[in-house]
Amino acid sequence: MTRRLRIGYVPLTDAALLQVAKARHFAAARGVEIELVADSSWANIRDKLVAGHFDAAHILAPAAIAVSLGIGQVEAPLLAPVALGLNGNAITVSQALFETLRQEAQGDMADPRVTATALARIAARRRERGEAPVTFGHVFPFSSHHYQLRLWMRAGHADPDEDVRLVVVPPPLMVFTLRRGQLDGFCVGAPWNAVAVAAGAGTILHQGTDIVRDCPEKVLAFRAEWARSHGDDVRALTEAVGDASRWAVAPSNRDALVALLTLTVGQDVSARTMERALESPASPSGPARSATGLRLDEDAIKADPAQALWLYAQMVAAGQTVYSRVQAEAAAAVYAPALGPPISRPGTTPVAFDGPAFSPDDIPSYLAALGVGRPRS
Amino acid sequence: MSRDLRIAVIDKNPLRAAILEDGLRAAGHTGVVRIDDTADLLDRIRAIDPDVILIDLESPSRDVLEQMFKVSRSVARPVAMFVDRSDSAMIDAAIDAGISAYIVDGLRKDHVKPILDITISRFNAFAKLTKELEMAKSQLDDRKAIDRAKGLVMRAKAIPEEQAYALMRQVAMNENRKIAEVARSIITAAELLR
Repeated sequence: MTRRLRIGYVPLTDAALLQVAKARHFAAARGVEIELVADSSWANIRDKLVAGHFDAAHILAPAAIAVSLGIGQVEAPLLAPVALGLNGNAITVSQALFETLRQEAQGDMADPRVTATALARIAARRRERGEAPVTFGHVFPFSSHHYQLRLWMRAGHADPDEDVRLVVVPPPLMVFTLRRGQLDGFCVGAPWNAVAVAAGAGTILHQGTDIVRDCPEKVLAFRAEWARSHGDDVRALTEAVGDASRWAVAPSNRDALVALLTLTVGQDVSARTMERALESPASPSGPARSATGLRLDEDAIKADPAQALWLYAQMVAAGQTVYSRVQAEAAAAVYAPALGPPISRPGTTPVAFDGPAFSPDDIPSYLAALGVGRPRS
Repeated sequence: MSRDLRIAVIDKNPLRAAILEDGLRAAGHTGVVRIDDTADLLDRIRAIDPDVILIDLESPSRDVLEQMFKVSRSVARPVAMFVDRSDSAMIDAAIDAGISAYIVDGLRKDHVKPILDITISRFNAFAKLTKELEMAKSQLDDRKAIDRAKGLVMRAKAIPEEQAYALMRQVAMNENRKIAEVARSIITAAELLR
């Protein structure tokens, strides 16, 4: 008898592989029936997964790690045997801030160092004049979006806690808030950047990959205890995600994928906007290193513990926790590729455009080089 | 006795929020403020400085509240989520009812539990009421369709009311359908053939 699994997700482009696994019957072929339950917030996804209302969930990778470490109140060990993709975010700024940045920039606006330096000057000036602080939106305290903003701002020597204001805004309200002038910019995933541009409310300043190449995004997470007692279901579901990944990158399935995602997101987003949010189909030479859009290929779904360690380091850098080796090991253990689909190639490690090189084997040196823990001057 | 707790309710459904507010007032909580689910939610909360925040789980603004967890300048007092892991029955009940609660850290949980109990029961009562209303509405719609179809049959076949109704009921029984479905088919057909 096939088991029925309830999987929570937030209707975003990067829930793609779960949608494909269901709609193209990959899960059924692996012996599990899946019910996809849309939810409206990451907090709900987290709570319902932890409380057992969901068997598995599409969840922000850092949120899964935070829950496992017990940072941010809710504590429950989770396992992520497979990732659901890489990249897909972008930083969009209001037209007004874009103009000011252009006047302030000394160099190529495509270079995030140039824009970050200009932003730091604008933020300082506003503070001196007693004006409202430069305010950027992101989606959740434990999110790559949040960390990408911080990495970008640090490159211009702006302190993300002192010099600017970072706030959580639900993605469907992001464009509206930008237009009302309550935000100067935001970092969000597809399709919201394209929506802001289409509405004339903002300009995409940088792709997420300009800030962090191969940036972890969402994972498929289970309660660790449940995953251990339901090994066959976990295996079946994660292999179905692997099947979905192979299907999704085949150029011949492109139109079908775009149509499926347009239905999923369902927010008056055109197929053209959706098409642009996705990485171009895999070239014969494999996924392009210069990929700017959401990556769904096999290399992009491997739950490599090095990614979990990178995210953990970002949490420490953001002041969300204090580094310890025990915590780092626990963070790495959330990513459990052994329970995921067999992928022989090595996984990817995120690379930020600026700052010290990251080595998963030596997080303290990375943090020290970032200046974390050093008293503020 | 401690001062009245300030309770903020974030719910886009004004009727449900009013029912909840009413329930909380009846239990002696007079400091209830309803906040619209808007873009400047955090500013509103900062201004109200509530002891307890109750939020509809359907609101995407739940994630906005999550940033209050960290001790920060965004709110005056650190905030905790009330439904802690030790009380799984309460978590289940809250999720099923569709609500979540945040409290300022340090507030005694036995002060807050009755508030959450009232919220869960009012949310459930509202869901039941909504369901009953929908059922009543669909019954009324069915009756209207049946009456209209009956009139069409009476005119088309020049037969009296009871006979038209009997005919429709016979068709429904033969086809194993509801009489209201048959009635809607008749109306559709009549509109097509008009």
